[in-house]
Amino acid sequence: MPGSEPVLNNYLIVGALLFTLGTIGFLTRRNLIVMFLCAELMLQGVSLTLVAFGSFHGTWNGQVFSIFSLSLAAAEAGIALALFVVLFKRNHSLDVSIWQDLREPDQPAILDEPVAETPDEQHWPHLTPAGLLPGEPHAPQGHASHHGHARPTLAQAPVATAGGSHGN
Amino acid sequence: MNFIQKSLASGQLSGLLADTGFGLRAALAQPHSGAILRALAVLGCGIIGIYLLLPRGVEGGGTKLSRYLGGALATLSLVFLVTFPIPAGESSLVGHSSAILSPLSDQPAVTGWTFYILALISLASAVMMITARNPVYSALWFALVLLGNSGLLMIQKADFLSAATIIVYAGAIVVTFLFVIMLSQPNGAAAYDRRTREPLLSSITGLILAAVLVGTLHYSATHEGWGKMTVGAQRPSAESIAAVAEKSNQFGKISGPHYVAELGKTLFVDHVVSVEIVGLLLLAAVVGAVLIAGHQVERNARQ
Repeated sequence: MPGSEPVLNNYLIVGALLFTLGTIGFLTRRNLIVMFLCAELMLQGVSLTLVAFGSFHGTWNGQVFSIFSLSLAAAEAGIALALFVVLFKRNHSLDVSIWQDLREPDQPAILDEPVAETPDEQHWPHLTPAGLLPGEPHAPQGHASHHGHARPTLAQAPVATAGGSHGN
Repeated sequence: MNFIQKSLASGQLSGLLADTGFGLRAALAQPHSGAILRALAVLGCGIIGIYLLLPRGVEGGGTKLSRYLGGALATLSLVFLVTFPIPAGESSLVGHSSAILSPLSDQPAVTGWTFYILALISLASAVMMITARNPVYSALWFALVLLGNSGLLMIQKADFLSAATIIVYAGAIVVTFLFVIMLSQPNGAAAYDRRTREPLLSSITGLILAAVLVGTLHYSATHEGWGKMTVGAQRPSAESIAAVAEKSNQFGKISGPHYVAELGKTLFVDHVVSVEIVGLLLLAAVVGAVLIAGHQVERNARQ
C-alpha cells in the first residue's frame, strides 16, 4: 500500500514532535503540575503514533493500546494530583527543586541563583463595579418608609472599589 | 555494505563536530548534507523560538521583544514544516523534494487540509502549553492540544478513541488539573513559574531528539531498504496487510458500520485479560489517591 505511506509518515512525525515538545517542557519547567502536563503531552504523541500504525496495518491493536494508555493516564493523574495536593500542604510551593532532598546522598545540591521577585508581572483582572452594591440589599419601595430615609447607595461605591483593589 | 556506506553518509554530523575544518568540507560534500542542513534549519528555527518563548526570569526591556521574536520563529518553523522542501537524493522513492510533512497527494483535498490544520493546531498549542507562564493557561492549551489530537484520530477512523480522548482527557483529567491548580496556587502566578531550569540545555536536547526522530522517519519514508527495522524498509504489501488483518481481526474490517461494536469485541475478546488488569489498576489508583489525599485530612481532624 504505497499510497498511504506519506500519510503514515505525517502522523508519525506529528507524534514525534509532540513527544519532543513534551520532553522539553518536562526538562525545563519547575511547576510540578506543568511537568505532569508535559508527561501527558508525551503520552498523547505516543498514542497518536500507535493509532497511526494501527490504522496503517488495518488492525485494532493500535487503538486498543491507546485505550489502555488512556486509562493508565487517568490512573496516573489521580495518584499524581493527590500527591501534589499533599506536597503543597507540606511546603506551600510546587517548585520541583524544593524536593531535591530526595537525591542520592553523595550528589551535590543544585543551587539556583536567587529568584528576582517581580510582583509587577502579576496582572489581576480589573472589573469595573456596576449596579448596586452587594452589601446593600435593594429595599423595595414599599419598605423605604420603614427606614425613615432613603439611603444613597451610590455614595458608598468608591469605598468598596478601593477595598476591592487592595485585595491583591 | 550499502547499508554501512549510507549510514556513514548520514552520520556526518559527528565528523562535523570532531574536525570542523576538514569535517565541514567533507560533510558538505556528502550527498545528503543539503537535506540534513535544511531539516536542521526547520527544526532549529522552532527550537530557537521555543527557547526565546520559555520564561527565563530575565527581567528588562527585552523580555517582551524576545517573546514576540520567539513566537514568530516558532510560527515560521511550523509553516516551514509544511512548505519548506527537503531535497531528496537519487535513491529516494519520491524522486523530488518534499516537505517534512509531505503533501497528501493521494488523499482527497479536504482530508489533506484537515490534517494540516489539525496538526498545526496541535503543535502550536503544545508550544504555547510548555511556554505559558500561568499553569492555568498551560492546562487550557493542553485541552486545545487534545482537541487537535482527537481530530487527527478521527481522520484515522478511530472515532471511539477520539471521543474518549475528549471525554476522558479534556473532560476529566484537565478539569482535575484545573481543580488542583486552584487548590494549590491561591496567590496567582508564583516565582517558579516565571523561570525555567536550564532552558538552553533542554532546548538543545529537544533539538537533538527531534532531529533524530524526524530525520529517521523522513529518510526511511523516502528511501527503500535503509536498515531492517525502519518504517520504510519493509513496507507490507497489500496482501500481507490483508492477511494480518484477517488473522488478528476476525470480526470485520476496521472501518465498518458497526465500528464501536467491532472495537468492543476486539477489546473484550482478544484483550480481556488486559482489560481486567487495567480495571484492577484503576481500582488501585482510586484507593491510593484516597489514601494519599485523605490521610492529611484525617490527621488534621484528629489534632
